[in-house]
Amino acid sequence: MSIAEQGVAIAEAPSDDIVLDVRDLQTYFFLRRGIVKAVDGVSFALRRGEVLGLVGESGCGKSLTALSIMRLLPKGSARTIHGEVLLNGEDILEKTPNEMREIRGRKISMILQDPQTSLNPVFTIGEQLREAIFRRTRGRTREVMREAVAALRRVDIAAPEQRLGQFPHQMSGGMKQRVVGAISISGRPEVLIADEPTTALDVTIQLQYLKLLKRLQEETRMAILFITHDFGVVARMCDRVAVMYAGRIVECGPVDQVFDNPSHPYTQALIASVPKMTGSTERLYTIEGQPPSLMDLPVGCRFAPRCPYADQRCLAAYPPSFTVGAEHTADCWRMTAA
Amino acid sequence: MTAGSLGEFEGQPLLRVERLRKYYPFTKGILFAKTLGQVKAVDDISFTIAAGETLGLVGESGCGKTTTSKLILNLEEPSEGRILLRGKPIHGLAGDALREYRARVQAVFQDPWSSLNPRMMVGRTIAESLIVTGWGNRTDIAERVRELLEQVGLRQDQATQYPHEFSGGQRQRIALASALASEPQLIVLDEPVSALDVSIRAQMMNLLKDIQARSNVAYLLVAHDLATVRHMADQTVVMYLGKIVEYAATQTLFDNVLHPYTKALFSAVLRPRPDRREEEIVLAGEVPSPLNPPSGCRFHTRCPFAMAHCSREEPPLREVEPGHLVACHLYDAAAAPAFARMKEEIVPT
Ligand SMILES: Nc1ncnc2c1ncn2[C@@H]1O[C@H](COP(=O)(O)OP(=O)(O)OP(=O)(O)O)[C@@H](O)[C@H]1O
Ligand SMILES: Nc1ncnc2c1ncn2[C@@H]1O[C@H](COP(=O)(O)OP(=O)(O)OP(=O)(O)O)[C@@H](O)[C@H]1O
Ligand code: SF4
Ligand SMILES: [Mg+2]
Ligand SMILES: [Mg+2]
Repeated sequence: MSIAEQGVAIAEAPSDDIVLDVRDLQTYFFLRRGIVKAVDGVSFALRRGEVLGLVGESGCGKSLTALSIMRLLPKGSARTIHGEVLLNGEDILEKTPNEMREIRGRKISMILQDPQTSLNPVFTIGEQLREAIFRRTRGRTREVMREAVAALRRVDIAAPEQRLGQFPHQMSGGMKQRVVGAISISGRPEVLIADEPTTALDVTIQLQYLKLLKRLQEETRMAILFITHDFGVVARMCDRVAVMYAGRIVECGPVDQVFDNPSHPYTQALIASVPKMTGSTERLYTIEGQPPSLMDLPVGCRFAPRCPYADQRCLAAYPPSFTVGAEHTADCWRMTAA
Repeated sequence: MTAGSLGEFEGQPLLRVERLRKYYPFTKGILFAKTLGQVKAVDDISFTIAAGETLGLVGESGCGKTTTSKLILNLEEPSEGRILLRGKPIHGLAGDALREYRARVQAVFQDPWSSLNPRMMVGRTIAESLIVTGWGNRTDIAERVRELLEQVGLRQDQATQYPHEFSGGQRQRIALASALASEPQLIVLDEPVSALDVSIRAQMMNLLKDIQARSNVAYLLVAHDLATVRHMADQTVVMYLGKIVEYAATQTLFDNVLHPYTKALFSAVLRPRPDRREEEIVLAGEVPSPLNPPSGCRFHTRCPFAMAHCSREEPPLREVEPGHLVACHLYDAAAAPAFARMKEEIVPT
C-alpha cells in the first residue's frame, strides 16, 4: 500500500465531471474558553449525478461541514478559516452575500437537519412552499399553486390542498421533514445537501422518499451529499461513503468496499454497533470511551484513545490517507503494514 | 388472553389506555378560521404498559404516535376515552397531584431542540428538574447531576455549556439526563435515538435497558427503526391512521407478522448488506388523509390483499393467534371461533 496524497484518488477521475470540490475545509468556533475545531481539514469531491454518504459520530462536524459549504454558519463565533469550496470550479467561499443568495436554492440547496428551524412557525406551509417555488420560476399565482400541490403530493403528503393552509405545528414530525425536503428540491439544484432528511420518517415513507430523490437525481444528474446515521440508507442511496470522526474524514470509498472491507477501526466499530433484525437481542456492541473534546484534540490519531490497535505511532502523529483499494482511502497507521 | 392482560405481569398494569380518541379541528385561514372537519389523529385505541416493561409503538408518519405520547404526558386532553396510571385517571389532575404526575411520567421527545432552554447551561437544566421535584439539598443535586451526565455519556466539563454548543445527538442525551433526574416510573421516548449515530445509539439503548433493570421504570418507545424496537420492546403496537392494526409480544410479532400494513412496513426496512434482494411491498395508492379516512378497513385503499367487504366493514382488533391481536379481515376465519368471546373481552368499557 502506498501513501496517497490527500485527494489523489479523486483527482484521477475526469475533473470536468466534478461539480463540488471541497478542499481542506476548516471551520472553528472562537469562544472565550478556547477554539472548537468542529471541521478540521475536510476534503472530498462530488461528481455530477453522484451520491456521497457522510456518516459519523454525533457531533463530529457533519452538519457544520454542510453549513460551511452553504455559508449558513450559525451567527456569532463560527468562522471558516481555511479551505476552498469549488462549485463548478468557482470558489463559493469568495462570493459576496448577494451572489450567495442567488446560488443557494438554485445551484446548491440544503435540507436542514432540524425541520423546526427551516420552517417559519408564523407562516403556513403553503406560503413557504409557494415563496420557494416563486423565487425560482417567477410564475403566475395559479401555476405556483399547482406546483406547490404537486410538490407535496410527490413527498406523499395526503390531502395536499388542505395541508397547504396549515401551520407547521399542526403537522407531525415526519410531515414537516417532508415539507422541508419538498421546498429544497423544488429549486432543482445541481447539488443537494441532505442533512438526515429521513430520520423522522417511518420506513415505508422513507423508502418512497428515497426513491423520489433517486429518480430526481437520475433525471437531473443532481449530485447529493447525503448525511445520515443509517447504513441501510447508505447502502440504498449512495455510490460512495465518507466516515467522519472528530472533525475529519477518516475513511472514504465505494459503499460496497467500505462495508465489506472497513479499514479504519472507527468504521469497523461503527458497523459492529448496528442493531440487527435477526439474532440475539442481548447487549449491543459499543465503542468504549468518549470522543475527544474538539477544544483539546490529541496530536496523533483522534481515535487513538479509544482504538484497540493504537500504538506509539498513532499517539505521535495524525496518519495520512492511505489508499486501501480503488478510490478507497483510510487515515490509519495500520494501513502501512498491510 | 385479552388486550387488557397483554403485558400485565402482576396485578394492575402501570398504565392503561382505554378507548382513547383525539380529534383535532382542521381549520383554514387565520382571521376567519373555518373548520373544515376533524383530523382523527387517534381513534379508539387501547393498550397497557406494565411496570418495568417497554412498549414499542410503530407506524406510518402521521398515524398518531406523538399524539398518543402527548395524551399520556397529559399535555393534551383526550376527545374521548381515558388513561389510568396505577388505576387512577390522569386527566383532570391539578395542583400537587399534577406535579406529582409530571415527576412520575417523563419524556424525551423527537426533537431535543424544543425541550432544552437555550439560555440555561445544561447542568442547570438538569438541576432544575431535580429542584422541581424536591430532590435533597445543593450537594445532593450537584452529585446527582454529575451522576446523570456520566450515565448518558457526557463529560463533566460539558455541564457548563449551553445547548447550542452541542450537536443534535448530544442534546438528545442531555434531554434523557433531565428525564431521568426525578426517577420516573414511566418515560415516554418519542424517537429518542433516531438522531444518534449508531455507536451512541447502541450505548443509549444499553443504557436505557440498564436503567430499566435497576429502577423498574417502564418505557413507551416510539421509533421508526424496527431493529431498535426489536432490541428494546417487550410488547409492540403497530398503528395505521389513528388505529391499532397489530399488537403482540415483540418476539411473537417479529417472528410472524400478520397484518398487511405491518408486512409492508417490515419489507421496507433497508439493510446495510442487501445481499439477497428482499421483496419490497410497494404500497400502491396515495397516503389517505386522516381528515377523511377510508371507510371499512382504513388500509383497504393501499392493501394488496383487499377484498370486497374490506371497504365496507371495519375489521375489529382481535386475537387471531395466542397473544397476537390483528385487525384484518384476512383472519376472519382464524378468529371466528373465539370471536364472540373476544369481542367482549378485548374492548374494555
Ligand atoms: N455554537 C457553538 N459553539 C460551540 N461549539 C459548537 C457550536 N455549535 C456546534 N458546536 C460543536 O460543533 C461540533 C459539530 O457539530 P455538528 O452539528 O456539525 O455535528 P454533527 O456531526 O452534525 O452531529 P449530529 O450527528 O449529532 O447531528 C459539535 O461537537 C458541537 O458541540
Ligand atoms: N395541534 C394539531 N392541530 C391539528 N392537527 C394536528 C395537531 N397535532 C397533530 N395533528 C395531526 O394529527 C395527525 C397525527 O399526528 P402525530 O404527530 O401524532 O403523528 P406521528 O405518528 O407522531 O407522526 P410522525 O411519525 O411523523 O412523527 C397528523 O395528521 C397531524 O397533522
Ligand atoms: S382488512 Fe382487508 S384491506 Fe384491511 S388489511 Fe386486511 S385484507 Fe387488507
Ligand atoms: Mg448534524
Ligand atoms: Mg411523531
